[in-house]
Amino acid sequence: MFRASYLARKGAQLALTLFAVVTFNFLLFRVLPGDPIRLIARAGHLSADEMAQLRATFGLDRPLVVQYGYYLRSLFHGDFGFSITYRRPVSDILAERMVNTAILLGAATVLIVVLGVGIGVIAAARRGSKLDSSSVVTALLFWSLPTFWTGMLLVFLLGVWLHAFPISGITTPGAVYTSTLDRWSDIASHIVLPTITLALVDIGQFVLITRSSLIDVLTEDFILTAKAKGLSRRAVIWKHGVRNALLPVITASALYISLVVGGAIQVETVFSWPGMGRLVYDAVLRRDYPILESCFLIFAVAVILANLASDLMYQVLDPRVREA
Amino acid sequence: MGMGKRIIAVVGGLLLLASLAAGCTRETGGGGGAARTTLKVGWSSEPDTMNPITTYSSEGQEVLQLIYDKLIEYDTNLKAEPGLAKTWEYSTDGLEITYNLQSGATWHDGQPFTSADVKFTFDMIKEQNFGEYAQWLVDMTGVETPNDSTVILKFSKPQAFNPGLAIPILPEHIWTGMDKLTIRKFANDTPIGTGPFKFGEWSRGETVTLERNPDWWGTQPAVQRIVFVLYGNEDVMAQALRAGDVDILTEVPPTIFDGLTGAENVKAVSLPSFSFHHIGFNVSTSPDSQGNPLLLDPVVRQALSNAVDRDQLVQLALAGHGQPGSVLIPPALGTWQLQIPADQQMNANPDAAKQLLAGAGYKDTNGDGVLESPDGEPLEFRLIAIESTTVDVRAAELFRDAAAVVGIKLDLQTMDENTLGNTVYNTTNPDWDIFVWGWDSGVADPDYMLGIVLCSQIGGNNDIFYCDKKYDALYAEQATTIDEAARKPIVDEMQQMFYDSAAYIVMWYQDKLQAYRTDTWQGWAEIPGGMVYNFTRDNYLHVTPVT
Repeated sequence: MFRASYLARKGAQLALTLFAVVTFNFLLFRVLPGDPIRLIARAGHLSADEMAQLRATFGLDRPLVVQYGYYLRSLFHGDFGFSITYRRPVSDILAERMVNTAILLGAATVLIVVLGVGIGVIAAARRGSKLDSSSVVTALLFWSLPTFWTGMLLVFLLGVWLHAFPISGITTPGAVYTSTLDRWSDIASHIVLPTITLALVDIGQFVLITRSSLIDVLTEDFILTAKAKGLSRRAVIWKHGVRNALLPVITASALYISLVVGGAIQVETVFSWPGMGRLVYDAVLRRDYPILESCFLIFAVAVILANLASDLMYQVLDPRVREA
Repeated sequence: MGMGKRIIAVVGGLLLLASLAAGCTRETGGGGGAARTTLKVGWSSEPDTMNPITTYSSEGQEVLQLIYDKLIEYDTNLKAEPGLAKTWEYSTDGLEITYNLQSGATWHDGQPFTSADVKFTFDMIKEQNFGEYAQWLVDMTGVETPNDSTVILKFSKPQAFNPGLAIPILPEHIWTGMDKLTIRKFANDTPIGTGPFKFGEWSRGETVTLERNPDWWGTQPAVQRIVFVLYGNEDVMAQALRAGDVDILTEVPPTIFDGLTGAENVKAVSLPSFSFHHIGFNVSTSPDSQGNPLLLDPVVRQALSNAVDRDQLVQLALAGHGQPGSVLIPPALGTWQLQIPADQQMNANPDAAKQLLAGAGYKDTNGDGVLESPDGEPLEFRLIAIESTTVDVRAAELFRDAAAVVGIKLDLQTMDENTLGNTVYNTTNPDWDIFVWGWDSGVADPDYMLGIVLCSQIGGNNDIFYCDKKYDALYAEQATTIDEAARKPIVDEMQQMFYDSAAYIVMWYQDKLQAYRTDTWQGWAEIPGGMVYNFTRDNYLHVTPVT
């Protein structure tokens, strides 16, 4: 379906971009003032000798070029390095955190896209009505709320006052499970509040994108033709309207997914959710270079892949975009 | 039914399902019903590793002190009590300490504990020079094990601080054969110790679980299980205590503490701590130092010390949760702290400050409100503080205002902790004048705090490049004086000497703020330094369920 030269060109661009990202990441964090050993030393009451030894252990005393070389070499072997703060392989740490982030953001993304598109479609279909304007205003209102504040509000309203949902963590501490289903229902109850928080603040963009895209499409001539043919209102809107209006939504979804790989740090902080966001924030404060380099590499790859996927989807869905 | 209503119905149904799932009572294995067995501790930061040699976090030490025993432990009065050593005695010349070990103690994996494990631990730390612990074994010359239950540590000088109090004993059969680099990278994911609690599980980012050790050599605690719960957010953590999700919190920020004082079934406790926050001056005499040389004049520093009102700092910056600072030793160390009479302190006396400066020849020659030295250099200095430590930033602002009153101008800049640390500890050419920071003591002994500002600690802990040979000589003397009555005058002299130099302005000794539920576990001894998160683990061993 795709020309080999097109794919080859895209592949080369991807490799070049990744290389630039890796180099930039490496330099970026080491340019920041401060280093990982200094704060460990003060908290851990270490001597100067011990600090020098720690630096040597993590290769921080070698010249920058040499460190870069080592970094590239281990990257080629799939070795993401050794965390300075946790003294464990970074890949182990990332694996745990990614799973937690994936659980939360998987749930949130599905909710946001489905609800957002749904509300946007309804708003566009009843354009000009009270439902439309109230949807837009509500979407904008929630979009402008600070995430942290919304989260805390839900904690107090639904968690503390109504005592309907747990307010922190992934599972109940010290819980004893009778079955896997029991464990999953515990996790499910913990996902509710963070998911709702994320959904509230992020749904606005999907509502508005869907709405404006669909309004655009509904003014096209072929919609008039469809109505003239006698198709039901539902068929006109969904089969002919929404299908053609989905392209911007797909781009937005792809980008949203790639951005949320970075974790939703505010939500993770409010709800004590052990995900990627908190990991990166703590790593920046502690200058844990291996974690930072690996995390940002993953984020960059996620964004690049999402862009690529979005590009390819356009090719598949819209014949007008395919290259001649 | 319209599309919109359908969507609302679906979403509502999902929420209902989820809340039913949440509503199902969660069996937490020992929470209620029969006698309580699980103690839940809430904190806002988690351990970095389970390796006792390489852990640098207080959380790591809090957990590991329950898994590993030391030869000697601290009791609830922060005095020495038997650990793995039943008894111990010093030789007449003070150069040897003989420890008689507990009999029948075993490691968590069933292997018997013997003196060989103690010898292995001390030899390894000394040989591999693991900084945090090796500092107590600098004078150690050898370890002897005449039999399985006796260990003799030999030193070249008498040791005022008994190293048995600081060093966790490691199992030889697990740690033997590892070289230094391997130990540094050793995660020790299943720590094996001889302690009252065994390692259960570490669910990273969430909880650390410990289970009671049924074969422990000491009295079995009533607590059968301890779960340390991590919270990302202190408001939610306080909420969890109110709701009964946890039984005690290791540290409560001052703003939240005031809210907890009236809460139902919760007791909020304020205790003296082993910490202080201070203003530090760059007194480096190195020609490469970029610090303002006017700070090398003790009169300037003493004037600034006089200008500051420490009571006001405690009230305004700490919301009253602390004591005004003076000497290097915090009040939790009891009688070791030197009590300087109020009228002899350099505190809250701007007039004395102005007199000192005028007497040394500092005058405002151009009428801009800032004094100049006899050479015409203005008394203007750079002040740095950590932006995320709000109490420090507030204190820095108050300090700046107090200094302006006596004719000294301070330019305040805030930065993140790592950057400040790097700026201050630049040993080649430190480019800063004054900072605001803090210290916690490493052990429950004055040795640690006194040892911060030694000449030998430049490049180590010494954050102001202070170097006084007489101070160093006094330090060496007190470190080798075992008799407390003879040691106290030396410690007092050191405190007075350092106070007079005004190289630090100790602003306050902050209170340790903690809170616990009164309806779950009882018998919490309120110890200086904290009920938990302190040098002693005895509260974990002594609390009993409320019936």
